[in-house]
Amino acid sequence: MFSNKIADIRKDFADGVHTEVRCQQNKSRSVAIVSGNLTGNARSETEGVSARVYKNGVYGFSSMAEVSVEAARSVLRAATDNACFMDSRINKGKGPIIPIAPQEIFCPTSGIDVEQKMYIDFAREIDSYVEKHCKNLTGRGISVRADSMDKYIEVSDGCSGHSYIPRSYIYLRMTAETKDGLPVERFIPIGGFGTFDTFFTTPDALFAKVDDLYEKIMLKREGIYPDAGVKTCILGGELSGMLAHEAVGHTVEADLVLGGSVAAHNLNKRVASELVTMIDYAHTCNGVEAPLPVYIDDEGVPCRDQVLIKDGILTGYMNSRESAERFAMEPMGNARAYSFSDEPLIRMRNTAIAPGTSTLEEMIASVDDGYYFTDTNNGQADTTGEFMFGVCMGYEIKNGKLGRPLLDTTISGVAFEMLKTVDMVSDTMEWSSSGYCGKKQPMPVGIGGAAVRCKVTIGGR
Amino acid sequence: MDKLCFVTEQVIEKLKDSGADMAYCTASSGETREFNVEGGEFTLFRTLFDNSLTLTAFIDGKKGSVGLNSFDEEKIDEAVENCIAAARSSTPDSAWALAPGKNEKSFKNGAVTPDLDLLFDRTKELLETIERDYPLIVMEQMIVAHENAHSVYRNSNGALYTKQAGYYNFDLMYSAHEGEEGSSFFSTGVITDNLDRPAIELGSIAKDLSDVQKQIHTVPTEGKFTGTMLLSPSCFGEFISEIAGNFASDSPILEGTSIWKDALGTMVADERITVSFNPSEKEIVCGQSYTTEGFVAEDFDFIKNGRLESFLVSLYVSNKTGVERAKNSGGSMVIAPGDRSLDEIIAGIGKGILVGRFSGGSPANNGDFSGVAKNSFLIENGKIKCAVSETMIAGNLADMLKNLVAISKERMADGYSLLPYAAFDGITVSGK
Repeated sequence: MFSNKIADIRKDFADGVHTEVRCQQNKSRSVAIVSGNLTGNARSETEGVSARVYKNGVYGFSSMAEVSVEAARSVLRAATDNACFMDSRINKGKGPIIPIAPQEIFCPTSGIDVEQKMYIDFAREIDSYVEKHCKNLTGRGISVRADSMDKYIEVSDGCSGHSYIPRSYIYLRMTAETKDGLPVERFIPIGGFGTFDTFFTTPDALFAKVDDLYEKIMLKREGIYPDAGVKTCILGGELSGMLAHEAVGHTVEADLVLGGSVAAHNLNKRVASELVTMIDYAHTCNGVEAPLPVYIDDEGVPCRDQVLIKDGILTGYMNSRESAERFAMEPMGNARAYSFSDEPLIRMRNTAIAPGTSTLEEMIASVDDGYYFTDTNNGQADTTGEFMFGVCMGYEIKNGKLGRPLLDTTISGVAFEMLKTVDMVSDTMEWSSSGYCGKKQPMPVGIGGAAVRCKVTIGGR
Repeated sequence: MDKLCFVTEQVIEKLKDSGADMAYCTASSGETREFNVEGGEFTLFRTLFDNSLTLTAFIDGKKGSVGLNSFDEEKIDEAVENCIAAARSSTPDSAWALAPGKNEKSFKNGAVTPDLDLLFDRTKELLETIERDYPLIVMEQMIVAHENAHSVYRNSNGALYTKQAGYYNFDLMYSAHEGEEGSSFFSTGVITDNLDRPAIELGSIAKDLSDVQKQIHTVPTEGKFTGTMLLSPSCFGEFISEIAGNFASDSPILEGTSIWKDALGTMVADERITVSFNPSEKEIVCGQSYTTEGFVAEDFDFIKNGRLESFLVSLYVSNKTGVERAKNSGGSMVIAPGDRSLDEIIAGIGKGILVGRFSGGSPANNGDFSGVAKNSFLIENGKIKCAVSETMIAGNLADMLKNLVAISKERMADGYSLLPYAAFDGITVSGK
């Protein structure tokens, strides 16, 4: 396990100067099998130290690929020089950052770093099962990926501690053809928070998931294209999570608000129906550990939930310590850095639409002519809230009953308009944490939420 | 550089001593100096010092790779052990191979040593220019940096390449605002090997800023029509990248799912389309010098006068499938210019859309695509009519290449690529 080698650096902090020093190790293990060929088999580890120093409204930052107190002293000097350089050229003259009551926060750690052979054996065994049991596929892929961020943080005027975020996933992909020769694809991630050994026991425990994926790809071969236009639809938890993250979450990150996002003019205004509450959960959701729990951020802020939309009203932004001061809000622990050489940016943690009171069955039964979209393979959104999501699995709904499966399609809309059409929210949530959010740096995040009934534009052929 | 040469030599020897019958290794040391602007204000100055070491071993056709960012001897020994263990656990495949024969070469590209004061002055000047000449622009984020790296590649067949490279990059993300109305965000990226000119003159920065200022007040597209899609240079490059990835790259060729799998040497596009990957082109900054398989990177044509000339596959997939490997890894896209100006192309369009940014997912394996046209304008009767919102475009990538209307004389050079505008017929444009 990565250990703290920078605890003594606090002695080098200058009085009254906001200073952060972090040592960090990132690990990645990956295996990929494409149609029976083992094309990827790699491990990587990067580690180092970084320092960030605040001076009169600007930051200096420096990092190097070595973990030691000497290295920490070196980057601290460089970060201080950089802050002085910027201050002398810019001369903003801002006051100090508001201090946070110091405490030590150590997140739980467990699990072991398994040998590469275990990943390969898992992937091979699942691939053999697919080859043997899943006929009429034109392509198949099995990927295994385990990664972790392990960091120790020392902050002059805030909390110090240890943050550890491991996750492990097996990705299954199947490709088949419709009777007209059109390729169709389905892909599922299996896994979540934790090291590989804590999540996966034996490959055969996953065969039921393989069978389920196979059944769905075979069904999808018989799929139809949905009608283009505006329809009443149910977005499953995966889609509502994508909406929460991409179309709302980014627009309420304070740095994007300052950059002119749609949220800049909508604070304390109605942006959704009263059934919609959206939260960026820190580490716990409804009494259960969130998909990727974050207990302390990289500015030394203890992490708490940030309520973004409460009963349809936009109530808050996600902040760094500096932006929180600017907006007269409280920092809730959203400043996160991906690698040791990255500075903290305002990032989401586990962003979701909170559950409501309807059952999914009631929601489906309430739709006369519409669609139930269950899976997405990508999503993009604008700072205006305009979004476009790819839908790679769904079903038509006719007279309150699920009908034929759908071929790939897209849905689009403007988040703060579309959310006002939400008239039912499910009482259950779905979560996913298999992807990365991209914003200068990558970042593992959890997304999810309840299913919602709403009106959305469906793209046509 | 001496240390990097020593490290790679040690790694190859240790891998061979541990049982590897083939191996390659890359060691590099890099420095980054970076100014950050957020919300139009300078916020951060970063200096980064990093190392990178990647090693790959093959034992009886079984491959394993390890990456780390340390040259510490103890960590290298651990990495060699892990690399060998990963290879031994792998599956044998006789298709893995490295470039044959010994080859030693040194490369030097771009601006290795930064002029930090001038970089800061150019950054400040760019911000001031934007504030003065583009008053509606809000700069969400601007990252200006100089990056350099010294690297050494060595393999067990005797290839040894050393490289020094450095460049300045300007990445801008912004939108335009008037009152409570705002445009979609847009980003422009440029890399350059010199700071001789003000940054506003680089790549498409000035043109993009000007266009975004005209995108504040948009009109949603009503209904649906089939018309002409005029792609901006960066958008055209993205579409060609999707085409290359979907029809000509390792995975679809290896799996046999590419609709072009038997199309080599045949016409796949209009004869006016020539797409090349040319790392040695003079407008390209710090193009690829060598591949991880140990070949010196060479320029090659992907599509020449409409004919598919090469797939973009690695040596591994080449050996698996029998098709020729690509002569570089696919960056540095260069598309030949056409014979009409942008204005002439627009004047010839009856009804269509000028697409500045495409926001869509990965196209289907057969090339079907659909997504939102962002930062885009409606064209009617040869004139740009208005900026649009909530507008989707859909078509098929393979069909699109055969429905070319025109390619522009003008090309945009941003250091990464050299690309013209291109217009295609038969695209479905739909709104509410």
